[in-house]
Amino acid sequence: MFSIAEYSFVISASSVQEIRSTDSLGGNVVDLDRPVLQKVRHLVERDSRSYYVVSGYEHFHLPLSRPTSVLILRAVPVAVLVDRIEEMAEMRILLGLPRSFCGEERVWYRGLTVLGRKVVPVADPRGFLTAEELQRLEEENPGLLQTASHPVGASRHERERM
Amino acid sequence: MNAGTNNLAPSFVVLQVGTRRIALPREGVAELIATPLLYTFPHTTPNIAGVVLRRGRILPVLDLGPGVSGAPSPSTRFFLVVERQISNAPEKCAIPVQGACELVSGIMLPAGDDGGFVTGHLDFNGEQIQVLDLEKAIAISAANKDNWIPATEELS
Repeated sequence: MFSIAEYSFVISASSVQEIRSTDSLGGNVVDLDRPVLQKVRHLVERDSRSYYVVSGYEHFHLPLSRPTSVLILRAVPVAVLVDRIEEMAEMRILLGLPRSFCGEERVWYRGLTVLGRKVVPVADPRGFLTAEELQRLEEENPGLLQTASHPVGASRHERERM
Repeated sequence: MNAGTNNLAPSFVVLQVGTRRIALPREGVAELIATPLLYTFPHTTPNIAGVVLRRGRILPVLDLGPGVSGAPSPSTRFFLVVERQISNAPEKCAIPVQGACELVSGIMLPAGDDGGFVTGHLDFNGEQIQVLDLEKAIAISAANKDNWIPATEELS
């Protein structure tokens, strides 16, 4: 469970590869040549892989916040800046988002869960950057995401499989 | 015909949204609930103020205030649960209301077709109460982006 601004969110532990303090990222951060999305301005390199750094508060359209941690995700090239890691919790139930919700939240969340009688949205790791957003970032910053483990010349399909 | 207790006449639920009293057809209303906790999280859907938990089910809270009275509904712990049809499937929603709701019977006088969300008027003890088309009210509120409820704003 993590928080951004005044809100709490849940993300499945299996979709998070690593949690780091923003202070510890230091020299591993690279500015994007052309930041086509306001919420993505940097890349971070970890263990020979690169990740787009997504600002959590900008992603969720929240007021400016002070991120202290970064969630490096596992199956997508995304690292999410969050304000705090709150706790580890067991999610016993995942309820679909009511159909009345029809905005961007349908991409952002896998659904809702109840933790300690509190309703919390469950973030979708693939919702932080959609396939279209990833494509735009790659087109505008060609080759930046490629690292030692993603040799130049590899197709996007091959890179996505890794 | 005045509203009253005539069992043969259609029934309506009179509710107060912000400063305005309105009515909804009885058929679409499930129950009035009291709950102190409104849960909010970021989203971009207009008119949705959050969710409430009711008997283990999550109900979206649909604030009619911006469309009906021109401002988000004030804090409340009372919600009228109504059933909407979304994509041909029913979904229950909670509408924040101020104070008690009344079940009344009466004949609705149809409103003119002005494209608004009022389908008719009800004469309730001399008071003219507008009967809403819920889906139209939601659509019109949503279309007026100036009245959107910011994700960071809470009812309670």
